[in-house]
Amino acid sequence: MKKTPFVDATLIALAALAVLLSLGGGFMPGWVRYLTQVSLATTLAAVGVMILLRAGLLTFGQGLYYFIGAYSVPLLQKHLGVSDILLATVVGTMAAVAVAAVAGLFTSRYRGIFFSMLTLAISMVVYGIAVKSPLFGGSDGLNVRGASLVGESFSGEKLQWVTYFCSVWIAALYMAIAHLLLRSRLGKTAEALEQNEVRLDYLGVSPKWTVYAISLFSASLGAAGGTLAALSARHVDPSFAYWTTAGEFVFIVLLGGQRSVLGPLVGAVLLEVMRIVSSSYFPDQWQMLLGAMMLLIILFLPAGAASIGGFAFAFVRRVLGGGKWRLTAKGGARDRAA
Amino acid sequence: MLTLGAIVVDGVTYAAWLFLIGVGLTLVFGVLRILNIAHGAFYSFGAYAAAFGVGLGARMELSLLAQFMLAIGAALAIGVVLGFVVERCVLTRLYARKEALALLATYAVFLILEDFTKILWGPQSVYANGPRDALGQVPIGPLMYPLYDVLLVAAAALTGLAIWYVLYRTKTGFKVQAVVFDREVSSAMGIHVTRVMTATFVVGACLGTLAGALTAPKIAISPGIGVEVIVLAFAVVVIGGLGSISGAIVGACIVGIGRAAATHLLPQVELFVVYLAMAAVLTVRPLGLFARPEARKI
Repeated sequence: MKKTPFVDATLIALAALAVLLSLGGGFMPGWVRYLTQVSLATTLAAVGVMILLRAGLLTFGQGLYYFIGAYSVPLLQKHLGVSDILLATVVGTMAAVAVAAVAGLFTSRYRGIFFSMLTLAISMVVYGIAVKSPLFGGSDGLNVRGASLVGESFSGEKLQWVTYFCSVWIAALYMAIAHLLLRSRLGKTAEALEQNEVRLDYLGVSPKWTVYAISLFSASLGAAGGTLAALSARHVDPSFAYWTTAGEFVFIVLLGGQRSVLGPLVGAVLLEVMRIVSSSYFPDQWQMLLGAMMLLIILFLPAGAASIGGFAFAFVRRVLGGGKWRLTAKGGARDRAA
Repeated sequence: MLTLGAIVVDGVTYAAWLFLIGVGLTLVFGVLRILNIAHGAFYSFGAYAAAFGVGLGARMELSLLAQFMLAIGAALAIGVVLGFVVERCVLTRLYARKEALALLATYAVFLILEDFTKILWGPQSVYANGPRDALGQVPIGPLMYPLYDVLLVAAAALTGLAIWYVLYRTKTGFKVQAVVFDREVSSAMGIHVTRVMTATFVVGACLGTLAGALTAPKIAISPGIGVEVIVLAFAVVVIGGLGSISGAIVGACIVGIGRAAATHLLPQVELFVVYLAMAAVLTVRPLGLFARPEARKI
């Protein structure tokens, strides 16, 4: 087996993208920059969904960790007077990992629809609490005031630039870490989990703790996305924990594919573009559009690809002549071994 | 003593409602092995259809009973249509694929149907409270209860009885049981499995719309009522074991009594007592109380 070099194509692409976005930020109109920030935030959360999905687990609870990450920003500001961006990201991530460590003890025993519905139930309970709790500002949510970075506080236009650069580099860093995880032993084990869990068990790997570990990691990604979203939008509200938020993350993975961490990035950008188009043409039918797209992807893309990204990848491969028309992606359809 | 009485009555009425929303979900899961998130949308469609039926009946100056019957009829009709369309157009293509994908597809259907209700009936609340208000109150011990809510218990019992009769006393029911037990073998025995699955899904959808229609007089019908229902219904049926009808009854009773007790004794936990009950049961029995054990296959 050929050993992959440590710096592979994906890492190079990520670094190049981060540099490009940093340099190109000045040439973008404000709304495109904002859109980039939002897309990066949802990308991180969606990468978390993707990691679980590669292990065959569909989470409907990623919104919970997005919520925790997002709320850590205004809560730290309000109650501890801490407004440092990096510190908020770290604290938010830690908080999410702590919650996932408790929830994971329970959910990591489950697979399939049980896993989906239990994660959904947990995040809906938190949503129910957040809507009523004054700590979280009720259904109005909380505002994020200025932010600082290593001791220097910013406001106005300067603040926008700082959050933009932070978003780009934090997202790039987290995606690189996620990529390394997918490449690691744990990542491969998680993939094997989707193929055949019992065999994995017999080989001496604990499926439960594998699921537990990747759940924690997925939660940390969700929280990092949440902090970026809070910093970009400067406002957080309980709908972050609502199941449709989690549904959008799943949709992003469906759009972008789960072949690499770059897939969700493509999906997230597509989703934001869709949102803009939809809000100008049919503002009240966003959910319907989302549902219809989802259904079309699930029903009509070939089994196994189950994403525009996977489909495009296979198509490009065929056009380039690099192999026969083959859809090897995750979830090869008629896998009935388990 | 007063509180105990109130807990029992509240608990039983709430359990009846929980059973109504959960039974369709568990029936469909038992036969199709699909957890139907769109069940929540069926529920809200049923509620809206009931409001439509009551409104139509009131405009035609029918009696209250006739209005109510019209409401139920409208809900069942819409249930048949929705169930048939969703099963034939969507689910039938997904049986051979991963269950997570089917779950996602029903979620997509839920989103579409949810916006459909907004298009059809607008974003503001509609009401169907005529029949319930007209029935008035009935004393149970020292407390007064809306008669409608008490009758709902009878309706739930009747629904449960009907399902039990069909499943365990008719030939159709035996076929359904066979499909639940083993799809391939039943197909080898000459049962038309696809037809059984379609029919079950249609019945499940009708149970969803029926639950919505029966609840409609009690609530303000507005977009979004289906979301809470699907999460609650899942909690209820998972306690009993997905796919088990008697499990749904037991789950509904546990959750119903539990929530009523919490409301009266410890209101702070009311919001999540359902999930606490679910977590407690699942910790002891990971697949619910009445779930069939499954063999490990390599």
